[in-house]
Parts: sequence; structure tokens; C-alpha cells
Amino acid sequence: MDNHNLVNLQNVTFTYEGDVVALSNLNLTVKKGEFVVVLGANGAGKSTLCYLISGIVPHIYGGRRRGDVQVGDIDPWDEPLYNTAQRCGLLMQDPEVQLFMPTIKAELAFGPANLGIAREEIARRTKEALELVRMNGLEERNPRDLSGGQKQRTALAAVLTMKPKILILDEPTSQLDPLGRWEVGEAIEELKHKGDLAIIMTTHETEEILHLADQVLVLDRGQTVLQGTPAHVFSQVEELDKAGIKTPAMIRAQIKFFSFPNSSKNLPPPIKTSLTITELANEIQTAVMDGKLKVNPSITQAQPNPQSLSTPAEPILEARGLTVEFPGPPTVTALQNIQLTIRRGEFIGIIGQNGSGKSTLVKSFVGLLRPQKGEVLFKGQSIHNLSVGEIARRIGLVLQNPDYQLFTSSCRDEVRFGLQNLGIPDDEIPKLIDEALDLVGLKDEADLFPFRLSFGDRRKLAVAATIALNPEVLIMDEPTTAQDHRGRYQLADLALELHKEKGSTIIMITHDVDLIARYAQRLIVLHAGRILLDGPTAEVFVQIDELKKSFVIPPFATQLAMHLDSIGIPPTIMTLEQLFDYFSPLS
Amino acid sequence: MQPVFRYTNLDTPIHRLHPLVKLAYVALTLVLVMYPIRPTDMPVLLIWLGLSAILWTVARIELRRFATLFKILLGTFLFLIIIQGFTYRFGHTPLITIGHLRLWEADLGIITKEGVWFGIVLSIRVLAAASSLPLFVMTTSTSEIMTAMDKLRIPNTATFMFVSALSFTSLIFEMWGSIVEAQKLRAFDIDRMNIFQRAFKAYIPIITPLILLLFRKANDFQIAMETKGFGAPIKPTEIEVLTVRWSDYVWLAFIVGVFILCTVVKFF
Repeated sequence: MDNHNLVNLQNVTFTYEGDVVALSNLNLTVKKGEFVVVLGANGAGKSTLCYLISGIVPHIYGGRRRGDVQVGDIDPWDEPLYNTAQRCGLLMQDPEVQLFMPTIKAELAFGPANLGIAREEIARRTKEALELVRMNGLEERNPRDLSGGQKQRTALAAVLTMKPKILILDEPTSQLDPLGRWEVGEAIEELKHKGDLAIIMTTHETEEILHLADQVLVLDRGQTVLQGTPAHVFSQVEELDKAGIKTPAMIRAQIKFFSFPNSSKNLPPPIKTSLTITELANEIQTAVMDGKLKVNPSITQAQPNPQSLSTPAEPILEARGLTVEFPGPPTVTALQNIQLTIRRGEFIGIIGQNGSGKSTLVKSFVGLLRPQKGEVLFKGQSIHNLSVGEIARRIGLVLQNPDYQLFTSSCRDEVRFGLQNLGIPDDEIPKLIDEALDLVGLKDEADLFPFRLSFGDRRKLAVAATIALNPEVLIMDEPTTAQDHRGRYQLADLALELHKEKGSTIIMITHDVDLIARYAQRLIVLHAGRILLDGPTAEVFVQIDELKKSFVIPPFATQLAMHLDSIGIPPTIMTLEQLFDYFSPLS
Repeated sequence: MQPVFRYTNLDTPIHRLHPLVKLAYVALTLVLVMYPIRPTDMPVLLIWLGLSAILWTVARIELRRFATLFKILLGTFLFLIIIQGFTYRFGHTPLITIGHLRLWEADLGIITKEGVWFGIVLSIRVLAAASSLPLFVMTTSTSEIMTAMDKLRIPNTATFMFVSALSFTSLIFEMWGSIVEAQKLRAFDIDRMNIFQRAFKAYIPIITPLILLLFRKANDFQIAMETKGFGAPIKPTEIEVLTVRWSDYVWLAFIVGVFILCTVVKFF
């Protein structure tokens, strides 16, 4: 093996027990200082790759392997896990399961202490790791009291105190809010710039890694479909689409504006992966001035997408002076004097940092939380005068994690459970089950054990169990968390279908601004338990200064449009498709 | 939701106390409650409970935590008092008479004054026993527990199983709350069910997902621990250096003194 290659996989095929082929004929080499990004839809084999390199396979999860794997000077297959752990550190998605000590200091010392490292050396490593993740000064804090981003940075620091040469990051930001993602992203960027480690990161967030990656590997059902530099991989838009990968908006914009009718089909277009939005806007403006691009004169006003309600409907849900506090110490005021009216048939997005009160608000809507002050009204009637069953018939809330509710032996029984609780006559139930499963696309899986479904399908099953109760309002709490690109849009499309066909009122909580821009008519931004902004989505997204308070960054297309003001592009554009409509190439 | 008996990082004499002294208090509590019980034991138990109250107060543990412990045990207390009230064989002063059903020396139709008193004594014994371990857990960090266990030559794996179980408690609390909420959203309201409904059908939709989730979390937990070298055949570094101070001896003498006093009061 080349001495510089810290990871070397040659023709690796891995099959889990039960003959599930997770990786097939994979080749990968990673050098010191190199940053490799692994992309793929859920189930593509990304985590299996992480487990193979870090020795989790076969020591915790069993299976069969063909081909060669070298990690530093060892093959993790033949070594005990604590040996591999000294060469290769693994940061997982969920920070909660990686933190088990009462203080950050003890957490960081746990790994090296297990290896018998001297106390002074552990103290030195702890200090260095905390400085790198910018957590110094918080040594005595309990990890459980930290924000999501801080928890994940603590978990990262705990991996770094093991002094690995290779760092595996398995979707490290997928469960974090934008601020948490930014914080962890900063730490990862710092590690990349130091250049001491070989870093392998799996993610769905292609925008976040565009400027960091040296090599990109795209997996689809265990097969390598693309591999190479970011410019090479991200220029293959069709292949990426097929694999369920989101092409970064920056790349899509470059391809649309500059490539590229004249470029040879055999050569990748000259994509720039480190371009900033300002630089891209300048290039577009130059292209317009040079006559290479034309602003389409036929469009004079950006049409909001999606359309707002033409005439205001009657209120369906109202929050009047809603204040919710959680007992401490210290007492936490999660919502403060919320005044809000939601009208029948609206499609509303709610965004804001974790802890801003989003989930508290929707849990108050369904009576799971009792406010200290104020009230929630459903069609003018206090929600607390309704029983749990009466609320379930009117307002459906799909929680983030479907696994908190699934307990039966088949998807059919899972949907049946709620219907039986409501006392629906037995002869009506099968029809309602079939309709709900059909709507979410799980009719063929009706008799399967729910835990045999993928995470995305389990979420759909949770939605089916809710919509079978035929609620007038459907609330989805973070349907995009830990979902791949395709899965995110499947659930949003489902909500849109209910909205259009049944006239359901939809409320969607998410951190995905691109998704919300595409679907929501109205956007509510929560910050520190208060409503910071509330209005038509396009109008909210242009209030940059207000959004900054809540660490919300508008969609890429809106940001770009704001920089193209001088050539007549309105800032209320929310999607790239809307923006592209304003331009036409010169014939 | 945070677990009630979680370690709180405070700087109090009890937090600073050597973990082995705190373990001695737990051990002596267990010895005391193992003594054969008599209805006249109330002063002994109250003295020991008084010691616990002193330790809880000096440790600045919020009253609500003790109240929670009391609430958790309340069902047990009521059970003990009612059962003893009906069945205590030396009971002879009727408090409430429902009917007559003689079984050996007891009349199961009568709640006796002596039986109720004995039930109260048993309840205080349970409270004294149950208040010792939370005090240890709430005032001793995981690293201190591990070092102290190591000093007692308890295998590292066993110690870590104990401290992991403590960590898992908080996860179980959180998951339980989330599952109850998720099922309420499907019109399944466990909070409104009576004890029999809960016992027969209510817990399946709650406990099944809880167990499945715990299996999954336990897997992730194992990965996180083993990728940090846990289980390596190497003697782990002691992170906490436990030094014995004069105050440890004073507290130990005080605790042992109270224990001797209790023993004397009980047997002489």
C-alpha cells in the first residue's frame, strides 16, 4: 500500500447477515489531509462503508466481506475494535447516544483513559480538542444541558482525544438545526484546513460540503455510480438525480447560466465549486452585459410560488395570548404571548432554531401541552374542552420520529389502531386503512412488519396512521430530519396533495428553507418563543436582517436574486426555476 | 424532561465527600433496614431518616426531588399500610371493621390500629432505604463512581454497566414521554385509564416501542463506547484522583456514630 494512503479499499463487497448486499465492488483510497464526501440516498451503503472502515463491521454488526480493506497499517476485520479506534475515529448522527459522562471534561477523557493514556496527556488532548471545536471554558458543563450543535461538537472533540489519523463523520449534521449545522461545519472546516487527518464524511447536504470536498463518491444501492472531484461529480446532474442526490443550487445555476450549450459533451463543464453567491451574481451580470445572457422582458413580476389564498377563509386554529413554560430550575418560557390565526386551507411553514418554540406551539395546538396563559381555539372552541379522541379527529400531528408510535405487527394494524381508538365501526375500518396506505404509497406493504420498512417509509406509515383519522388540519413536525433528498420531497408532495385535493390545512415545521419556499404559502418564523415574522413566504424571506436573528438563511435563489437587483430581477424569487424563467440564452 | 435523580454538579461538602464514605452510608443503610423489624423500631428509623435529611440538606438537593421520591413510593406505602392493617397478626384494636374473615391469627375483615402502625413503620423503612442510593447518585460524578468502584476492586465492566444504566435512565424518561404523546395523537389516552385498564392493555402500545427503541439506542451506545476503546485489555487511567481529607473522616465518624446509636436504641 502507498504510504500516503491512510484508507485503501480494493474491490470490497459486503453482505449483511440475511444476504443483504450493502456494498459491491467498492474502491476507495484516502490520503492524509484529504476530505472525501460519500453521498447516497438512505440505504445506499454509506453507513456500512463507515462501519467497515471503523471496524464496527464485523465486531458489532456481522456479515461477509470480500476484497481488501487497509486502515493505516491494519485490516480492521482482524483487529479488536480498540486497536482500530486508535487509528480511526467515528462520529455518528445522534449526539445523544455518544455522550454518557456527567461533564464535558470527563466525556473527552473517557476514550484515552480506556487506553491507559497518562493523565497529563489526556489533559493536553482535552484542551486541544476543546479549543478546536470552540468549547473551551465549558469543561464542567453537563453534556445533556448543551444545545444540539454543542453536543455534536462535544462528541467530535471526544473522538479527537483518541488521536485518530482517520476521521469518519456519518451524517454529523443531519439532526441539527441551521445554527448547529453551522457550528459543527466550522469545526469540520478547521480540521480540514489543519490537514492532519484523512476525513470521510457522509451527508445529504451537498451545499455544505461543496467547498470542502477533495473527492466525492456517490453510492446507489451499494454500487459506485460516480467518483471523482466535486466538479466532475456534480456536473453529472442526471446521474445524481437518479441516485436521489441533490445537485447543489450553486452548480445548477452555473450549468444553467454558463454551460453550456456550446461545451463538448465529452468534457465536464467548467464548474467552480468554491464560488460565492456574490461572485456568481457578478458573473451573471457580466454575462448579461456582454450579451451572452438575456433577461426575459416578458416576465415583469415574479409570481409567488406557491400561490397564496385568494380570499381569506375562516379561522380554523387560533392561539390567543399563548404562554407555555416548562418548570425548572430554571423555568424555561418556551412560548410567550403568541397571537396567531390559521385559516382553513392554508399551507403554512414554521421555521426557527431548536428551542425557538416550534414544537411547543404545535403540541399546544393538539392539547399535548397546557399553556400557563392564553388558549388555543379550534373553530372558536377551546382545545382543552375536547377529548384526546376529538382532537385527533380534527388535528393530526405527525411527530419527527415514527418509531415512537409503531408497535403492531403489520402496517395495516398500525393504521387500524387509531381508528379503533376513535370507535369507528369495524366494517368501515378496512376501507379507511386501504385508502390511507394507498395515499402514502404503502398499499403493497400493508401486511409487512413496520420495522422492516426504511426510515422514510416508516415516516409515511406514521402519516398514513394520522390521515386515516381524517383530520382537518395536518401538522408535520420536522418531516425532513434525517431524510434523504428524495424522501423529503415525497412527504412534502403528500402534504401538498392533501392540501389540494381535500382542502386540508397543512402546517409544516422544517429547517429546509428550499423545501418550504417551494410549498408553503405563508411562513412563520419563531425566535425565543415569539413570532419574529409572519407573512407570505416570499415576503418573509427577503427580510434578511430579521431572519439573521433566528440564524435563518433564505433560499439560494432568493439570495442570488437579491444580488441581481441591478439587472431587474425581483428579490421575491424563491426557487431556481423561477429565477431561470427570467433569463433566456441568446440565439 | 430531565430525570429527577440525575447527578448535579454542585460544590457542597457532600459533593466533595469521598465516594467511599458515601458508599459506606449506603451500605450501613442497607444493613440497618435488614435488621429484623419490630413495631417499636420507629425511633431508630426516624434517627436514620434524620441523618438522610441532614445529608440531603447539606448537599443542597431540591425538595422537589425528595417529593418525587416520596410520590414514587406513595403507592407502596399505601399498599403496606392497608395490607398490614388487615393482616397484622398482633393487631387487636379495631380501627375499621368491614366484616369478619378469620385466617389463622388475623381477622381479615378488620383494619387494626397496630397493623396500620406496623405498615407505617415498614413504609418508613422503605423510605430510609430508598433515599440513600439517590443521594449517592445525585452527588457523585460518574468518573468518581468508577474510580471508587475500582478502589473496591469491582471489575471495570460491571462498574460501567452501572453508570451506563444511570445514563440510560434519562433516555428512558425522555422516550417514555415521547411515546405517550405519540399514542395520544392517535386517540390513545393512557392518562385517563384506570389502573386495571392500564395493566391489561394500555402498556403494550407504550412498552413495545420503548423496548424496540432501547435495543436500537443500546446498539448505538455500544458503538460509541467501543470506538472509544472501552473493553480494551488495558488498565484504564484514573481520571479522578480521590484524596482522603480530614473532613471525610469526620463525616464517616458521624455516619458510623449514628449507625451505632441506631443499633443501640434498637437492641438495648
